[in-house]
Amino acid sequence: MNLLQGTLDLLILKSLSLGEMHGLGIARRVEQITQGAFLVKPGSLFPALHRMEEAGWLVSSWGESENNRRAKYYRLSAAGRRQLRAESRTWDRISVAIATALQAT
Amino acid sequence: MSVLSRTSSLVRNLLRRKHVEADLDEELRGYVALLAQEKIRDGMNADDARRAALIEAGGMERVKDDVRDARAGLLLETTAQDVRYGLRMLARSPGFTTAAVLALALGIGANSALFSVVDAVLLRPLAYRDPGRLVVLLHNGRNPVAPANFLDWRAQAHAFERMGAAEAWSANVVGGDRPEQLRGLRLTSDVLPLLGVQPLLGRTFLPRDEEAGHDHEIILSYGLWRRSFGADPSVVGRMIALDGEPYAVIGVMPKEFQFAPFWATHAELWAPLPLADRATDRGDNTLRVFARLAPGVTLAQARAEIATITARLEREFPGTNGGVTVTPLKDKVVGDVRPTLLVLLGAAGFVLLIACANVAHMLLARSAARQKEVAVRTALGASRSRMIRQFLTESLILALAGGVAGLALAAIALHALVALGPGNIPRVNTVGLDSNVLAFMMLVSLLTGIGFGLAPALQASAPDLTGALKDGARGPSDGVHRNRMRSVLMTSEFALAVVLLIGAGLMIRSVLAMQRVDPGFNPENLLTMTVSVTGSAEAEPHHRAIFFQQLLHKVQSLPGVQSASAINHLPLAGDLWGYHFHVEGRPIPRPGEAPDATYRVVFPGYFRTMRIPILRGRGITEQDNRNAPAVVVINQWMADRWWPGEDPIGKRITLGDPEHPVWLTVAGVSKNDVQHDWVAPPSEEIFLPYLQTAEYMDGSSSHVSYMTLVVRADCAPSGHACDPAALAPAIRGAVWSFDRSLPVSDVQTMEQAVARSTAEPRFTLLVLAAFAGVALFLAAVGIYGVMSYSVSRRTHEIGLRMALGADRGDVLRRVVGQAMMLTLMGSAVGLAGALLLTRLMSGLLYRVHSTDPLTFVAVAFLLACVALVASYVPARRATRIDPVEALRQA
Repeated sequence: MNLLQGTLDLLILKSLSLGEMHGLGIARRVEQITQGAFLVKPGSLFPALHRMEEAGWLVSSWGESENNRRAKYYRLSAAGRRQLRAESRTWDRISVAIATALQAT
Repeated sequence: MSVLSRTSSLVRNLLRRKHVEADLDEELRGYVALLAQEKIRDGMNADDARRAALIEAGGMERVKDDVRDARAGLLLETTAQDVRYGLRMLARSPGFTTAAVLALALGIGANSALFSVVDAVLLRPLAYRDPGRLVVLLHNGRNPVAPANFLDWRAQAHAFERMGAAEAWSANVVGGDRPEQLRGLRLTSDVLPLLGVQPLLGRTFLPRDEEAGHDHEIILSYGLWRRSFGADPSVVGRMIALDGEPYAVIGVMPKEFQFAPFWATHAELWAPLPLADRATDRGDNTLRVFARLAPGVTLAQARAEIATITARLEREFPGTNGGVTVTPLKDKVVGDVRPTLLVLLGAAGFVLLIACANVAHMLLARSAARQKEVAVRTALGASRSRMIRQFLTESLILALAGGVAGLALAAIALHALVALGPGNIPRVNTVGLDSNVLAFMMLVSLLTGIGFGLAPALQASAPDLTGALKDGARGPSDGVHRNRMRSVLMTSEFALAVVLLIGAGLMIRSVLAMQRVDPGFNPENLLTMTVSVTGSAEAEPHHRAIFFQQLLHKVQSLPGVQSASAINHLPLAGDLWGYHFHVEGRPIPRPGEAPDATYRVVFPGYFRTMRIPILRGRGITEQDNRNAPAVVVINQWMADRWWPGEDPIGKRITLGDPEHPVWLTVAGVSKNDVQHDWVAPPSEEIFLPYLQTAEYMDGSSSHVSYMTLVVRADCAPSGHACDPAALAPAIRGAVWSFDRSLPVSDVQTMEQAVARSTAEPRFTLLVLAAFAGVALFLAAVGIYGVMSYSVSRRTHEIGLRMALGADRGDVLRRVVGQAMMLTLMGSAVGLAGALLLTRLMSGLLYRVHSTDPLTFVAVAFLLACVALVASYVPARRATRIDPVEALRQA
């Protein structure tokens, strides 16, 4: 399934709300929390991560992966948390509205 | 794209690009490795896992490209957003935007215009090769040098690569519709090579050109070549007649070449300067000496060597080598105007600072009004840096708009500056809005944008969130900090305005003092023009005096002419020669210490025509001719100085060598008149009858073969609308009725000559007054804005006071009192600053001290009045506040 851009941002923010993670970790986490509905390819993952970092929502740092490899870890900034809350609310409104629209006969 | 984002992406690219790229590379490799590890865990062998991971990840380069795009796109997008948003916010308050852009345009325009003048005149190097190594050798930095001294210096000094001399020269060209007197220079063959300028056509002078027989060669300026020879490329080798003698054109100089750069700046042709027959002459100081420092030699070393050489020569030939100076050419060229330009540039800087302060507190007022907007945006997740960037983008948009508008103003101002400026600013013809000025304007806009935008941006971006979001919750403590900053801005604005106003005030006092100077003659209704007989039949000895006498008779009989006479060097406009004199019966002075007097040679009727009163004795008459005893008229200063308490009439003086006196009897004393410089104190001046001065009647030099006619128009019959300049065609006709080949030049009224001699201070005054006016206007607008704002913010408080019994007078006094407090503080700081700063302009002042108390008090008073008026309007508004309404709103 293809993702709307805003949706991917929201999913990344959500994945990181639990703690810091590296790129592959984020991709796997998104798969997990969407129960495999979304597979995140690096071609969309990394541009999104860098864009969000530039926007000030994410902060990155270098660390050791579980297998002693150097990996870049991302976590939410304060602005990122606010963004997550704002986008969640927007998404709630949209999904309710869309669901209502589809149920209408 | 805003300048800010351009610079920030530039910085990013320069400093971080490599880092970002390496980071990204490593991050992606890490990703692939982790992916491969997953697959190994799932049971693949290492190679297969790696290959599968790479395939799954998809081309790494494409991912990198996408990442780069995402980063750059975001940057562009936020910047574009900021700019769009900024433009919308500015468009929403057109009043504020117009006011801010106008204030900035005035500040930036003034600075760009003056910068372009300063750039052209002071900063750009002279158009010679390596001009920093060129020096000028003169007596006391000013006076010319005698040939023998120049030849000795050139032969003995080793500190110079080359040394050459130049002498003023003029030549009459006959032919065409009008005979013309061309100004030029005679140059030794070293001069052009030492400047390092190649001719456009032909060659420059060779050493042999200085020998007799070869000196009839000329080099043309580009302008003269175009004007008189139609830019004919085959002009080299042509013969032309100058002063009735044939000269060969040997070269044409390039367009940008100008020499000399100070004195004789209008030279259009150059001829060789033969010095062989003047090689022992140490009395005739006519040369300006130019030199290029030898490689590796410092100015100090060159000065030391010249000091040694001239000290030796002074011992050998006393009174001939005193006070010889070695001055860098550039200092000599711009030295006189540098203080004026720097003072004006400083004043322009002040105008800009005032404009910035003004815009800054406009922005502060606005940011207060926008607190809610900021709070909403922050609550929605905008970071503080993002908000600062937004505010800075807005102020940069303002600054750039102000810069562009300012450039338009600068273009207009430059026209006015160059047109109104005194003619003596060197290189002013090269002033223009060029890339240097554009770069300066951009830089100034950028700095001002950040300068006035940063403080409001910092303040606005840190709002009290909860307070601002609650409607109307304005506690009495609100904005204490903001108010303090506004007070500081206002105070500094006033302080700067005070300094500018005092500068302008001092210039006004100077110019008024200059206008009160009594020139000793009456410049009204006088027309002057120079008639040269060089090279004509009239130049013949014995013929010349008759010609000028007949010409004056003819001019006197023209309708509309009251009287006419002639003088060798017109006061204020002409040359200035001094002669050593010796008073009979006094001890003979030691060499070099003889007094000297300004040397005038006049025709009968000069004093009557100029309306110079004769205080004792008589003026010069027709009877003072070759057959009569030699007489002289001296000025009052000389009479008082040399014969105090005595009657000088009948006393005798001699000029030149006192050992071989030729006695002149003092026949009259004239009132002191201005000689060369409008504001110089009087000094000794002597007037000799032309008809008794052999040097003028018979001399062969072109220096003595021209005279300046002074003609007083008869304005009595009509009584009004008398224009002496209208006489010019008739007088020219009278000259040409004798000889069609005689050039008539420098036609001007005496009032024009007077105006020109005081042009520089009047120009300085004009510019300073314009700046001070702008400053005063901005300060008035500023205090009005601050008080209006303060009243609108304090509606509640004022309403409360009025409800508690304060009457309208109290409210008025409180508001105006607050404004006056700010004014007072600003004035105090400004007066203190002016005390320090006006000293820098004391060289520009005339008969006014730089701490003139009257000016200081008047300026402080003026500013207080302006502040009073500007704060009265908002204060009146405060008194009309309805207490009930104000309290209900709260």
